[in-house]
Amino acid sequence: MAVCVAVIAKENYPLYIRSVPTENELKFHYMVHTSLDVVDEKISALGKALVDQRELYLGLLYPTEDHKVYGYVTNSKVKFVMVVDASNTALRDNEIRSMFRKLHNSYTDVMCNPFYNPGDRIQSRAFDSMVTSMMIQVC
Amino acid sequence: ELKNTSGLLYPPEAPELQIRKMADLCFLVQHYDLAYSCYHTAKKDFLNEQAMLYAAGALEMAAVSAFLQPGAPRPYPAHYMDTAIQTYRDICKNMVLAERCVLLSAEILKSQSKYSEAAALLIRLTSEDSDLRSALLLEQAAHCFINMKSPMVRKYAFHMILAGHRFSKAGQKKHALRCYCQAMQVYKGKGWSLAEDHINFTIGRQSYTLRQLDNAVSAFRHILINESKQSAAQQGAFLREYLYVYKNVSQLSPDGPLPQLPLPYINSSATRVFFGHDRRPADGEKQAATHVSLDQEYDSESSQQWRELEEQVVALVNKGTIPSSFQPTQYCLNSYSDNSRFPLAVVEEPITVEVAFRNPLKVPILLTDLSLLWKFQPKDFSAKDDEEVKELVTSEPEMIGTEVISEFLVNSEESKVARLKLFPHHIGELHVLGIVYNLGTIQGSVTVDGIGALPGCHTGKHSLSMSVRGRQDLEIQGPRLNNTKEEKTSIKYGPDRRLDPIITEEMPLLEVFFIHFPTGLLCGEIRKAYVEFVNVSKCPLTGLKVVSKRPEFFTFGGNTAVLTPLSPSASENCSAYKTVVTDSTSVCTALVSAASSVDFGIGIGSQPEVIPVPLPDTVLLPGASVQLPMWLRGPDEEGVHEINFLFYYESVKRQPRIRHRILRHTAVICTSRSLNVQATVCRSNSLEDEEGRGGNMLVFVDVENINTSEAGVKEFHIVQVSSSSKHWKLQRSVNLSENKDAKLASREKGKFCFKAVRCKEKEAATQSSEKYTFADIIFGNEQQIVSSASPCADFFYRSLSSELRKPQAQPSVHAEKQPLEDAVRLIQKCSEVDLNIVVLWKAYVVEDSKQLILEGQHHVILRTIGKEAFSYPQKQEPPEMELLKFVRPENTTVSSRPSVEQLSSLIKTSLHYPESFNHPFHLKSLCLVPVTLLLSNCSKTDVDVIVDLRHKTTSPEALEIHGSFTWLGQTQYKLQLKSQEIHSLQLKACFVHTGVYNLGTPRVFAKLSDQVTVFETSQQNSMPALIIINSV
Repeated sequence: MAVCVAVIAKENYPLYIRSVPTENELKFHYMVHTSLDVVDEKISALGKALVDQRELYLGLLYPTEDHKVYGYVTNSKVKFVMVVDASNTALRDNEIRSMFRKLHNSYTDVMCNPFYNPGDRIQSRAFDSMVTSMMIQVC
Repeated sequence: ELKNTSGLLYPPEAPELQIRKMADLCFLVQHYDLAYSCYHTAKKDFLNEQAMLYAAGALEMAAVSAFLQPGAPRPYPAHYMDTAIQTYRDICKNMVLAERCVLLSAEILKSQSKYSEAAALLIRLTSEDSDLRSALLLEQAAHCFINMKSPMVRKYAFHMILAGHRFSKAGQKKHALRCYCQAMQVYKGKGWSLAEDHINFTIGRQSYTLRQLDNAVSAFRHILINESKQSAAQQGAFLREYLYVYKNVSQLSPDGPLPQLPLPYINSSATRVFFGHDRRPADGEKQAATHVSLDQEYDSESSQQWRELEEQVVALVNKGTIPSSFQPTQYCLNSYSDNSRFPLAVVEEPITVEVAFRNPLKVPILLTDLSLLWKFQPKDFSAKDDEEVKELVTSEPEMIGTEVISEFLVNSEESKVARLKLFPHHIGELHVLGIVYNLGTIQGSVTVDGIGALPGCHTGKHSLSMSVRGRQDLEIQGPRLNNTKEEKTSIKYGPDRRLDPIITEEMPLLEVFFIHFPTGLLCGEIRKAYVEFVNVSKCPLTGLKVVSKRPEFFTFGGNTAVLTPLSPSASENCSAYKTVVTDSTSVCTALVSAASSVDFGIGIGSQPEVIPVPLPDTVLLPGASVQLPMWLRGPDEEGVHEINFLFYYESVKRQPRIRHRILRHTAVICTSRSLNVQATVCRSNSLEDEEGRGGNMLVFVDVENINTSEAGVKEFHIVQVSSSSKHWKLQRSVNLSENKDAKLASREKGKFCFKAVRCKEKEAATQSSEKYTFADIIFGNEQQIVSSASPCADFFYRSLSSELRKPQAQPSVHAEKQPLEDAVRLIQKCSEVDLNIVVLWKAYVVEDSKQLILEGQHHVILRTIGKEAFSYPQKQEPPEMELLKFVRPENTTVSSRPSVEQLSSLIKTSLHYPESFNHPFHLKSLCLVPVTLLLSNCSKTDVDVIVDLRHKTTSPEALEIHGSFTWLGQTQYKLQLKSQEIHSLQLKACFVHTGVYNLGTPRVFAKLSDQVTVFETSQQNSMPALIIINSV
């Protein structure tokens, strides 16, 4: 399903990044990294007043030849970036939306952990397995 | 007309050029308005004539003069610049001009804060043909991105890196380094590890080529110590590069201090320190004591057990108190042990430091010439000056010998421990500072797996590959302090001194070997083994003791036993027991002997767990060794038992620092089921002995073979049953079917019945209260096992004392009820008995087609009459969890009334009469039969007895009986029986018919004569006493 899932902190450093073909990690890092510009652009495009009411889901950030990159920004400016195989046409906007919602819920759980320091790398096993399930699911 | 590639070439006097010149002049005198219109005119003319080069120039200048116009009447014509650049580049193919134009335009755009346009412009001009130009433009573009209103940091970094790359291609190393360093600021410390690694690597490379070695080293170090996600080949390259750079650094300053190396990681808190020699492997039959070693995992439960054992023995040595300065001996220090004090090490005994390495890389790394780094302060405790302390650091072999590991390979992503030894030869204070080694790679490290498999092959080859010498310090953080308020609110750590041992004077060192020590036993089996004690030090040792939580498991034999220091090989086929050949005539009756428990080291109050080892002359001289016999008894529970022995010994000289030393041994014994012995005791109803003394009991012993292994054990023979008691002894065996060997095949059960009598009073009087009488009854006319000698009695006493240690439910004593309590106790006493049965057996076992005879013994402790006792502690059902009550318990006074059952066994009755009686009823219609009623008092006080002969009229069965008999004469007797007195009553029964009658109708009531509070209680009926009356 998803080939790469990343959680990026407000200050644009990765809290969590995982990709399925591990040998090509650099490429996905690059993709996620680049997508941050688009995210920034999309957020800043909205007026200040509108920021509060905006939808968290940003939709398709940009397509590449093989992949599509989707984005989602929480109210605390934490970004979720998901890279999906472009050949996978079964994935509609709605599915992506629900996947992001799932990711957001799981991220909230991580934040609720009193032993987690906000800003640290996410090492939660529950979060990890959730991401894994999102990555394998259909494939 | 002349033409060049890009259009017309004007002569100098051409009007278009005249206008252009005028525009230039206007521009120079800063008349920008006029200049602009002139440039504009010129531009139009040039364009009309397709003189593109001229047109581009005019456009450019028009834009500049428009920009420079004060007040700006017209907007800045950005498209002029774009057209000019495009013309220069595409039509005129003049990159220098295009470049100039771009720079100019970019500056203008920047001054108008149109950074993104400027950046786009700059980037558009980058091309493959000129690295230097591209680099410059990219760098400028990067600066544009960072200067934007919302700075585009990532774009900045990205273009900086591109610029750095082009600079380095153009050979501008300093510029390249500068660019990368600037980009590094963005990525440093963020999680983009792949990007960071790349930047660091490049910085390292560039720094190295610029001979900025320190920077290079730190950059490479960065790549290696972070959890790198790079591939193995990449990491190998990084490592090689690092080592290469490092080598150059160290060659530049060969005399400098050893550098700190970043690899491999050391988990310093996992460092363990072990004092003492390595354990010797078992040779042949000898099995060395397990002691402590670095191979053992730490287990808090067992370490607590060892600590308790040591406390016990130290308390005993110090007459019952543990000195306040007592600290448990620690031979192995780890992160769980108490490391707040300086550990003590003994001179000439090695100190092993285990360092835990971890290789974070995906390539193996090779450490060579690995050794510890230390500091030593020699100290003569008799020295004159304490001030004059020499400090030595390493390489002083006469003080401290250091072991060097020549090669140590840590495979990729592997955690591995290295054990490094120090040999102190002098007393003083030692501080282990760290380790020193050569860090190197394996050549051709891409084939990781192949190399790891053949560690032996590369000796010598590695020296060719690159390596650098460096050190790493071992610094261990102590536990976090959490005692005072200040410590709780701040974060403070205590000291950890496990690496700072104090080397003290010589101490004795004991080694213990076990010979013929079994690993499997039957429950209750007795096996003889030998223990060898060797003093391997140069000091004599003394005060050898052994402590164990399971003293019932082993014995060294009592003090009375004659020590037979047979060699272990000679005793192979001997019985473990001491035997005496008996003549077969005395088989039926018991052989009696006596022994005091004190002889076997089981005194009152002393700790039975601590057992002194009977060394021949209490001192073991240096180099001397002693072999002692040791008997083992398989524990009663089936299963695997871990039994801990702690040997304690002292030096002959009193040492100020180390008082004693210990040696640990853990024996693992697997026991399998053998026999289950169950015994009950009850009062005998038979006629009293000729001695006429009360107390005459029957002991029933059921022995069941519960061994389950089909192959091993063939059968058990009960060889002997012995009793051991302070007051009772077995007299003879009842119901023995003519001396048959008491064999028990698998799953068979045998029943034995014995008669027990009280010991003679005078015997009992002469004996001290701790004296036990042993009586042996032998089955099979073999040999008598002297049960009052070692090892049988040893094990008996040990099991007894371990039984006694178990908490007993004592009835609570209330002061105000003292008289009643006394009475109760008296009453209880009379149903108490203290008889201990020892069943000795032999098992015939087939093992490897050889028949073996195993011996063993089981103990049963009988306390109460009528109650069953078992050799094996019965499994108790775990008590059901009681609900926790939050109510104050009501002051329940425990009813101290003795139970009816106890009260009813005060008096023992038995009737004596002829079993059948012939009477001529046709001659005389009444038949009179004399009957004797024996009453014996079981208690130790006077008892009032009432005998009532009247039939119970209320009983319905009595009515039914057709033609019952009657007692003649007095129908009620009142008697007082003294303590253990026997009284016989002559009664007469009168019958009128023939038939079978039950004579057991007399009812007996009893009460203690000096107690009014206790009610008379009817006594237990004896068995039905049947009499047959025949007519003749």
